[in-house]
Amino acid sequence: MTDSIIRLLQKMEDSILVGLLLAMIGLAVAQIGLRNFFGSGIVWGDSLVRVLVLWTGLLGAMAASRADNHIRIDVIFRYLPPGARQTATLVIHAFTAMICLVMAWHSARFVHMEMADGMTAFAGVPAWVCELIIPVAFLVMGIRYLLFFIRRLAFPGQENPDNPSGSRNSS
Amino acid sequence: MIFLVIFGLVLMTLLGAPLFTVLTGAAMAGFTMLGIDLSVVAIEFYRIADTPILVALPLFTFTGYLLAESKAAARLVGLTRAFLGWMPGGLAIVAFVVCALFTAFTGASGVTIVAMGALLYPALKQDGYEENFSLGLVTTSGSLGLLLPPSLPLILYGIIAQQMDAGADISIEKLFAAGILPALLMILLLSAWSIRANRHNPAPLTRFSFKNCLSALRAAAWEIPLPIFVFAGIYSGYFAVSEAAAVSAMYVLVVEMLVYREVKWSRLPSIIRESMIMVGGILLILGVSLAFTNFLIDAQIPMKLFALCQQCIASKWVFLILLNLFLLMLGTMLDIFSAIVIMVPLMLPIAMEYGIHPVHLGIIFLANMQIGYFTPPVGMNLFIAGYRFNKPIMTIYRATIPFMLVLLLAVIIITYWPGLSLFLIS
Repeated sequence: MTDSIIRLLQKMEDSILVGLLLAMIGLAVAQIGLRNFFGSGIVWGDSLVRVLVLWTGLLGAMAASRADNHIRIDVIFRYLPPGARQTATLVIHAFTAMICLVMAWHSARFVHMEMADGMTAFAGVPAWVCELIIPVAFLVMGIRYLLFFIRRLAFPGQENPDNPSGSRNSS
Repeated sequence: MIFLVIFGLVLMTLLGAPLFTVLTGAAMAGFTMLGIDLSVVAIEFYRIADTPILVALPLFTFTGYLLAESKAAARLVGLTRAFLGWMPGGLAIVAFVVCALFTAFTGASGVTIVAMGALLYPALKQDGYEENFSLGLVTTSGSLGLLLPPSLPLILYGIIAQQMDAGADISIEKLFAAGILPALLMILLLSAWSIRANRHNPAPLTRFSFKNCLSALRAAAWEIPLPIFVFAGIYSGYFAVSEAAAVSAMYVLVVEMLVYREVKWSRLPSIIRESMIMVGGILLILGVSLAFTNFLIDAQIPMKLFALCQQCIASKWVFLILLNLFLLMLGTMLDIFSAIVIMVPLMLPIAMEYGIHPVHLGIIFLANMQIGYFTPPVGMNLFIAGYRFNKPIMTIYRATIPFMLVLLLAVIIITYWPGLSLFLIS
């Protein structure tokens, strides 16, 4: 049951990611075309493309935390004995969850302040809507690492979907 | 208290915490000490949506991933081989040229070793090159081309340098121009060495024939325009870098999916996801490092570091030597993107005080990091090559060292001859 919900959520994450990137490419190319052939682009087009970069980036970061696939220094970890690895992983997961949640909290406060300010980003879209992805992404990453931590604590022997080498290059 | 926080963060880094968390922690601790509200970290993070050039990052990354998935690598090898394969040592030169081009588009993330290595390694052995030579060549070539446009590390360096207010002296276009001659120097030195190392080999089996060239040209007809319009578009100033990225992404999408049809549509979502995971990892670090950099400047840390440096390091040349050593070491431990994002804000102000041009510093930085990729014992590409070719890591070490020494020579020339980098932009 929970598994299928998680899979559904991951599917959603993936489809949004695909949609946003294709939209970014389409919009950026359209802007160039409009500018060169008609002398003017969509006024808010460039702003939207920039916000799309932020959104795809953070959605990508969320997807990266799914398999604990973030950029890190793993020189020492690679040479730790298994017992120490277990402890190190626990500490790291707890630390990562904490930082993400604190960041989520402060960025939520930032979004809240911007809501009160009522600034618009472009074409009548309020700035806080564009910024909303920051607290959401950090919250999701924080929760994911919290779950990693709990799972490690409950089932110490089991490898989670974790990628201890942390390399982005295996793809 | 300060030392406790620093100690804790260093410990977390060494244990393998994601770098973005360490940077966030450092920025938050710093701003707390300065008594600044922590929502500033989020405000700084949002500046990602305020940096027009950053659009190039997801677009070029996606382009690279899609190219790596198609058979573009095979066509590129075929093409270059038809033109250069007949020369003695020609295949080695082919390998350097195609790897450099491929890496420029895909980033030195190991993709080159996996995709190009699979084609070049058997071809090299078949042409009579020694096993160790071939292994070393393929491993080394995995990071060749970092200095050629549209290399993402170069773009990232430019973004950070602009954030640091390095003045009007620095732009992505200038960095792209500055990288060309140093990159050519590397390829030239490596080629010369390869020809010398293989002078006793039998002559290559391939002969030059117009028919081969023509059919290779025809096979790659749709991909040949890509580097041409990226290079020409950017250098002529017709395209901004971000525009070139958008056009490349669209072009490659159409060519690979609709013309060559080698990538299945059902694969596209996972290619997009994989490439955006990479982008997400970089942007995350970039975003929090914007906040961290802001703290460093508020606390005047680069100035203090410079004052400290000045006491021990009198001349620019001593500084450059230490810089080289430090960067080589850094390159073995840290991937290039994190290294740029973390170290450039600290180094750039100091280097500029010593009279080093910010563009030149960027080229030095990347050239050093490039060697770090395959410096024993922990260079990342060594492990990728060992895994990919199923060889013990010690064999890879031994095979790579001669190439490393050649590139070290190139890096020394690049570092102490600023004119080589600055010639095309002055």
